[in-house]
Amino acid sequence: MSQPELLEVQGLTRYFDVSKPLLNRVVERVPRQYLRAVHDVNFSIGAGETFALVGESGCGKSTVARMVAGLIPPSKGAIRFDGIDRAAARSSAEERKLRRRFQMIFQDPFASLNPRWRVDRIISEPIRAFGLAADAQEIEHRVGELLKLVKLDPADGAKFPHEFSGGQRQRIAIARALSNRPEFIICDEPTSALDVSVQAQILNLMRDLQDEFGLTYLFISHNLAVVRHMATRIGVMYLGKLCEVAPSHELFSDPRHPYTRMLLDAVPDIDMTGRARTPVKGEVPNPINPPSGCAFHPRCPHAFDRCRSEEPLLEIVGERHGASCHAVAEGRI
Amino acid sequence: MTTGPETRAEFLSRPHGFATRMLDSDILHSFKQSKLTMLAALVTFIFIFGAAFAPWVAPHNPFDLASLNLLDSLLPPAWEEGGDPRFLLGTDDQGRDILSGIIYGTRASLAVGFASVIFAATLGISLGLMSGYFGGTFGTVIMRIADIQLTFPAILIALLIDGTVHGIFDNVTRADTAYWVLILSIGLSFWVQYARTVRASTLVERNKEYVQAARLIGIPPFLIMLRHVLPNVMGPVLVIGTINLALAIILEATLSFLGVGLPPTQPSLGTLIDIGQDFLFSGEWWITIFPGLALAILVLAVNLLGDWLRDALNPKLR
Amino acid sequence: MSEPLLRVRDLVVEFPTRRGILTAVDKVSFDIAPGEVLGVVGESGAGKSLTGAAIINLLEPPGRIGGGEVILQGQRIDNLPMEKVRKIRGSRIGMVFQDPLTSLNPLYTIGRQLTETIQTHMKLSDADALARAIELLTEVGIPAPETRIESYPHQFSGGMRQRVVIALALAANPVLVIADEPTTALDVSVQAQIIRLLKKMCAEHGAAVMLITHDMGVIAETADRVAVMYAGRIAEIGPVREVIKHARHPYTEGLMASIPSLGHDSERLQQIEGSMPRLTAIPDGCAFHPRCPKAFDRCMKERPELIDAETTRAACWLYDKAEAAT
Repeated sequence: MSQPELLEVQGLTRYFDVSKPLLNRVVERVPRQYLRAVHDVNFSIGAGETFALVGESGCGKSTVARMVAGLIPPSKGAIRFDGIDRAAARSSAEERKLRRRFQMIFQDPFASLNPRWRVDRIISEPIRAFGLAADAQEIEHRVGELLKLVKLDPADGAKFPHEFSGGQRQRIAIARALSNRPEFIICDEPTSALDVSVQAQILNLMRDLQDEFGLTYLFISHNLAVVRHMATRIGVMYLGKLCEVAPSHELFSDPRHPYTRMLLDAVPDIDMTGRARTPVKGEVPNPINPPSGCAFHPRCPHAFDRCRSEEPLLEIVGERHGASCHAVAEGRI
Repeated sequence: MTTGPETRAEFLSRPHGFATRMLDSDILHSFKQSKLTMLAALVTFIFIFGAAFAPWVAPHNPFDLASLNLLDSLLPPAWEEGGDPRFLLGTDDQGRDILSGIIYGTRASLAVGFASVIFAATLGISLGLMSGYFGGTFGTVIMRIADIQLTFPAILIALLIDGTVHGIFDNVTRADTAYWVLILSIGLSFWVQYARTVRASTLVERNKEYVQAARLIGIPPFLIMLRHVLPNVMGPVLVIGTINLALAIILEATLSFLGVGLPPTQPSLGTLIDIGQDFLFSGEWWITIFPGLALAILVLAVNLLGDWLRDALNPKLR
Repeated sequence: MSEPLLRVRDLVVEFPTRRGILTAVDKVSFDIAPGEVLGVVGESGAGKSLTGAAIINLLEPPGRIGGGEVILQGQRIDNLPMEKVRKIRGSRIGMVFQDPLTSLNPLYTIGRQLTETIQTHMKLSDADALARAIELLTEVGIPAPETRIESYPHQFSGGMRQRVVIALALAANPVLVIADEPTTALDVSVQAQIIRLLKKMCAEHGAAVMLITHDMGVIAETADRVAVMYAGRIAEIGPVREVIKHARHPYTEGLMASIPSLGHDSERLQQIEGSMPRLTAIPDGCAFHPRCPKAFDRCMKERPELIDAETTRAACWLYDKAEAAT
């Protein structure tokens, strides 16, 4: 019996209007321009899972994260959390109840904490916003607990963010994310700005916290090795579309989509295995003018006519494993 | 040089209030480096102190009609022949002590100056914050209004508002409301600078992740602007405010000099200069020169302070 | 053994502040052989970028060289006057920085920037310089170089721009290229292409490379030898394969173990407790000792020099022969 998924994303699409100002358009006779950041993305995340979205710049993974978080509205499609449609209108009390179940950890540890606020005020903001504590004393106690959870000293609450290193600030951000006891945390490249040894500490901490509190993560990253370590399932995105979705170990042992294979070959071989790798071709095209049909076809070694005209759909190729590629669907690769 | 990371105990035992952090900061250090700035600060402080405690500092009250004696009129400064040590800088045609007049006049000038800067800042910061945070048509409209206003010189705007109000009100109301009208007109000529700087900084801060984190948990825009964004965009405001203060004082003095500012019953430095003007060529130079000097020194000191503050807060010049 | 191309001896980079002098690079010594790729790897604050900047005298004031020598092809270059240093930059030492948007002047075409660099350091006519520029662009893989030479930097993608920067760095045939985080701002797939290109171009032009980065993967792909920096000092230096697979210094060991690998699953990443010390609070003795699982008495008092440890050299008392004997 399958469990209902905690988060379901269907047909998620987001356009950005990047047209020039009205005057310029009239004078230059240029039409409106739209950037297709995310196009028809479908995936679901079960409770307790870590679902990773991986891809290079312009693939839309951060935009998906922001839509799931409720920071920007989708242009089309639906996001359902525990069966509830995020976009549906509801009373402010119910909206608050829904927001309480989410949180987010951001990429830049220097910009994600207000430099003018003390750490205890930063961490306790969600507690106060959702009315989760009875009085100031309880807030103080809870902040101290949270700081201990992320391996910082409760006395650090009195300091300002600039007195901490990048790794420590990210811990503070994690403490803030836990303060309203969310079920679902969106992690937008949480360790990309950190040194490798600090990254190890933060990733270990995030896994420990997930085990302790039964958290579900949507983990955004461009680093495949990190994603391999953290995720149970992975989605690979390219120019706004989902190329492949698979359980973590299967994505690495049996990648089906040509882009996934290319990405895996591009990662530097730090183990110095000297494994055979195909050299990477070309660069990510401009998202404002994506190639027709399958966006990857200009760089794909298996591209043929159909790829230039028709966008492939996500097809099942294995247990919870899908790939959107004509060549895969036709069994050619 | 420390030999190891500071322990928790050491950190907690040091005081951490705002004052302590200020004292230890680079800003105070650069302040102490410049003798001129310290002099300017001292002068400004003397003026402010004198103005605040005018009734106790001034040797006479020149506006208490009962204490005036026409026999004391047109006395030259104390060190000149015919001068009276009671009236250090001389008296005017009604026997009013010039020095006391300057002290009370500074009070009026500074009061209008500060009040109009605060008014301009509040208006400018609010509009700048909203226009930067919400953007869109609303933001653009405010900025276009600001642009249009910038094409007019401040004094023209102040004169326009002032003149209009004067035209509406009669003499009596005019005198009563003189302060408020002045503050309004000067304030309205200066809000644009604040709005522009604050809007620019707001546009930057709005996209930062700490604002996103607050939006995520549903904090309403008004609170985000007030509690999150505002503290981070205040930096340049302080510098603009100080320089603005000097400009506001001059603008007020100009308006009073032209007769459309503070009336002679509650004169500012500008009014005093205007009054003394008539006596300049008949030989009683002290009636206009001393208030003029006082104004010049005050404005210079405030300007120097503003310059220093701007340089001190500019990380690139340190 | 041939004469090393670059010798750095006891280099010190310091910052005078009103609270005292902060030492950011503390007596760093290494050699680069002609044609060799030396990786300088370290986390932020380790001093690797400052070392590179000090070599070509591009330290931003108040930073300054506080001691030591930099010797290029037998000639000291750290104490030269500015005009001589400028001549060396470009003609004998080329530079590739992280952000191509700032290394290229947005107001000039790349053709102009290339020919200018070529003609500053080589006596060529306009036509010859242009031909050489087009040749270089072809070598770095810019398609249709004759037309693209008239383009401005913003008309190229990030990866293409970095290729142009590499072309610029090699335009005057330098003997050494200093590359500071050349691929950090690029996507993974572009990164792979650029590091291959850098390695190929330098090999073909006979230039040695000092590759500064925080990314061990890039080092594994590109470098012959690698120096691992920690808190302004070199912790370990040796052939790339040895340092990565058989690290001797506890810091390098910890660092390698904390990098997640694409090759296998790991339950938990190994972590090094604590964090790199701030410049104002560098511990006495070995800078790593507060975080080192193998630290002992001597580590807290005496700073170790680089000691031979079989295949690499590590600045660690564990490898002192006299120590091992006791």
